[in-house]
Amino acid sequence: MFGVAIIAALFLGLPVVALVARSIVDGSLSRALTARIVLDALWLSLLSTAVSLAIVVAFGMPLAILLARRRFRGSGLVEAIVDLPIVLPPSVAGLALLLVLGRRGLLGGPLGAAGIELPFTTLAVVLAQVFVSAPFFIRSARASIAEVDHELEDAARDLGASELQVFRGITVPLAAGGLAAGLVMSWARALGEFGATILFAGSIEGRTETLPLVVYGEFQGGNLDGSIAAAAILVLAAIGVLVAVRALHWGRALDVRTLG
Amino acid sequence: MSRRRLAAVAALAVALGVGACSGGAASPGSSVGPVDLTIYAAASLKSVLASVQAAYGTARPAVTLTIATDSSAALETKIEQGAPADILLSADTANPQQLVDRGLAAGAPVAFATNRLTIIVPAANPASLRSPADLARPGIKIIAAASAVPITKYAEQLIRNLATVPGAPPDFATAYAANVVSREADVAAVVAKIALGEGDAGIVYVTDARSSTSVTSIDVPQASNVVATYAGVVVKASPRVTAARDFLDWLAGPGGRAVLAGFGFQAP
Repeated sequence: MFGVAIIAALFLGLPVVALVARSIVDGSLSRALTARIVLDALWLSLLSTAVSLAIVVAFGMPLAILLARRRFRGSGLVEAIVDLPIVLPPSVAGLALLLVLGRRGLLGGPLGAAGIELPFTTLAVVLAQVFVSAPFFIRSARASIAEVDHELEDAARDLGASELQVFRGITVPLAAGGLAAGLVMSWARALGEFGATILFAGSIEGRTETLPLVVYGEFQGGNLDGSIAAAAILVLAAIGVLVAVRALHWGRALDVRTLG
Repeated sequence: MSRRRLAAVAALAVALGVGACSGGAASPGSSVGPVDLTIYAAASLKSVLASVQAAYGTARPAVTLTIATDSSAALETKIEQGAPADILLSADTANPQQLVDRGLAAGAPVAFATNRLTIIVPAANPASLRSPADLARPGIKIIAAASAVPITKYAEQLIRNLATVPGAPPDFATAYAANVVSREADVAAVVAKIALGEGDAGIVYVTDARSSTSVTSIDVPQASNVVATYAGVVVKASPRVTAARDFLDWLAGPGGRAVLAGFGFQAP
């Protein structure tokens, strides 16, 4: 049993270690950190994920509160809709976005009339990221808000606190662990987004080519060095996410109850 | 699995039996069992290879072809990384030559077809493109292929040629480049995005334009057009070098050429 366990751990760990080690040993990581295509992609990735995270919180938080606090007709359906992007292959998400928001998509006509064309823009990158990453935040936020003791909130209301004060003073601090975990996991998913982006937003340097697209594009183009370097940056970011989760005692963030 | 293998063996037995009856005994060792050749092929060969598969099944019943398509450059990289391909069919001569140069090829590349370029637009032509010069019109959304995809080299040559045509818009090449909104992984993805209507125009091979009914093409003047030469090469690491070479020779010969011509490819 011990041997099998070691094999499992090696299988999961070795590829990642080998990739980062190679990027350092052959110097591709340090070279890439001065390469324009990688730097452009790194900047675009940071910018787009920051914007998508802000959108996820702005629109996801109200939905999470609603799902945590009220059972209503169809709430099960809404929960299922929220969960769907997690289990949906990203390429399917990209095609679906194109068929709805594309020029000839369902909403393409009205959008076009308003002078908005989404495909092949940085906004399309952001929308693809929001679509695939929002469920991670909403699920985690819903679960942690549902666990907050209602009596504490009611007590605050009895003392004359406004709804906003209750939310900021009681709900958010008590749900902070789950909210933070949701933020981190949602950001990580957005950072790694590939399939929906390449279908919906295409790929062009500085505008829609994020780091995961560089990993693919440089590999396709025969530039293994650039591909490995971009991949190593993503691995380091992913490790950073896990370290952050651990260090801030958000261990329960990785609990199946909150992330499903 | 075992039933399929049994069927394959039975088919081979029949084929050999027929061969023996006709008196043409195959040289021993050249075709001792069913052979499965894995072919890595340029994305622009996807449709024609489905017909090649059928035609080769008739010509060599014991050989089955497994085909994987992608950009030629990506396939070359994968073979360098040890991918189990027997043959590379590339949309250029540079990628096969690179395998030769790195000692990864068995024998010299074989040119088997040529192709030409055309401009495709969605069937409805929403941007009303009428001539190649329109590619430089501001606001046109052009879908191109990534820089390492062979067609990009040909397309850039075409753009340079069009820029020198008398009456061409000033800064034609720069204006074209500014209109590129996406660089796709291969030609098939360019066709797909034009067919979907998400892009206004793209430069693809004549054969790609024929393969989709959702696009129409705008002809490029013959004098400005670029000839793309397709070459294939046998992968040295293949355990089936003889059968692979036999296929490549067939593809470049009358049998293969007839199928290729049906899809708009020309002889090299």
